[in-house]
Amino acid sequence: MATADGLPAPEAMDDEQREAVETLLFRLADDEFVAAERYTEWQVESPTLESDLALANIAQDELGHARLWYDLLEDFGYDEPDLVWERPADEWHQSTLTELPFGEGDWADLIVRTYLYDTAESIRLAALEESSSARIRDRIGKVSGEEDFHVQHARRWLERLAEEADSRERLQAALERLFPHALTLFEPVDEEIEARIDDLGVRTATLSEMRAEWLESVEPYLESQGLSLSEVPQDDEGPDGYALPDAVGRDQSHTDAWPDLVEAFTNTYRELGRDQATKIMRDPDEEEA
Amino acid sequence: MSDANPDPTGTRACAYTSYERGEGSADLPATGADATGLAADVWDALYEIDDPEMPISIVDLGLIYGVDVTDGRAQVDMTLTYTGCPARDRLTEEVEDAVASVEGVAESTVRLVWSPEWSLEMVTETGEERLREFGLSV
Repeated sequence: MATADGLPAPEAMDDEQREAVETLLFRLADDEFVAAERYTEWQVESPTLESDLALANIAQDELGHARLWYDLLEDFGYDEPDLVWERPADEWHQSTLTELPFGEGDWADLIVRTYLYDTAESIRLAALEESSSARIRDRIGKVSGEEDFHVQHARRWLERLAEEADSRERLQAALERLFPHALTLFEPVDEEIEARIDDLGVRTATLSEMRAEWLESVEPYLESQGLSLSEVPQDDEGPDGYALPDAVGRDQSHTDAWPDLVEAFTNTYRELGRDQATKIMRDPDEEEA
Repeated sequence: MSDANPDPTGTRACAYTSYERGEGSADLPATGADATGLAADVWDALYEIDDPEMPISIVDLGLIYGVDVTDGRAQVDMTLTYTGCPARDRLTEEVEDAVASVEGVAESTVRLVWSPEWSLEMVTETGEERLREFGLSV
């Protein structure tokens, strides 16, 4: 169990602590990395130069955050090829919301997706502010500070698109497609490990608490924009009546699009026959030496 | 809607990358003012390194949070203004190399830290002057 002083350093953790912290880090890092990979696809398609810049910046933020979380996984002995370039597609933990391809040319998809994702992101970061892991806790202020702008960007666009019937219909269609996948953000990697993450105080809100908080935020907001959640897939047996998709990501089940995305972002690494994350430039001083 | 600002965030100036005043920290900025001996030499070497984008030393910018030199082994704690900083490797390697080249230092390591998060409060008075000369209003 966590002591008052919190969890020990990675090398001093027992297996159960280690597994809990690693699992939480994979949830965070994989979401951020995969979301960024998808956002960058918009670099050639954004509707305005301003939105191109904004999205490039958001993608860069998410990659920066993924890097921070993968850095912490490296403290447990992984290296970058283990974490990204050589990890089999069926060993990733991201929510399927982040990996779905965008509807072709569908800006409303991007806006709904970032709204749903970044609203959840702010809730889960808040639940890490008092984490028993000092290394995680120390990064939250920096990451949260950089995330604020993302929700603002999504909401302002969403409100603009909701003003007119045509674009509101696009938002509604995107919502119906994406909402079940957004719920996977709160799905467990493994029930027992998630309970341990909570028991150890690595996170101070459970997945179901965060899901409820997220719904309390997104339901009234979306409805205030003329969007309807009664049309998203329903499941009477679910905790709040909403249905999950077939693949939820967290448990390493993924959508058909995922292996293709892995293939794409590891292509250069494989083509060059890499077995390590080689630096592009060598330090000229080292060359001389 | 054709005349409307197509950017719904409505920001003409870049609000996102504005450097905000933070809460600061009692121990920061760290400047090495009290350092002696080999540690002072390490601080001197750090002062020689400029930020990749602005003509200001990384020490005056407040990126260095601490220097520890024990038995010829130097450890530098530093932060970055931005998690997605594309110059991260270049900067940390530059610091590591500069510190390693100080006479008497056998080994140098850089540890990236993110708390307290960097803000304008971390910039030294000299740093603020340099930033003003550079054209930033701080």
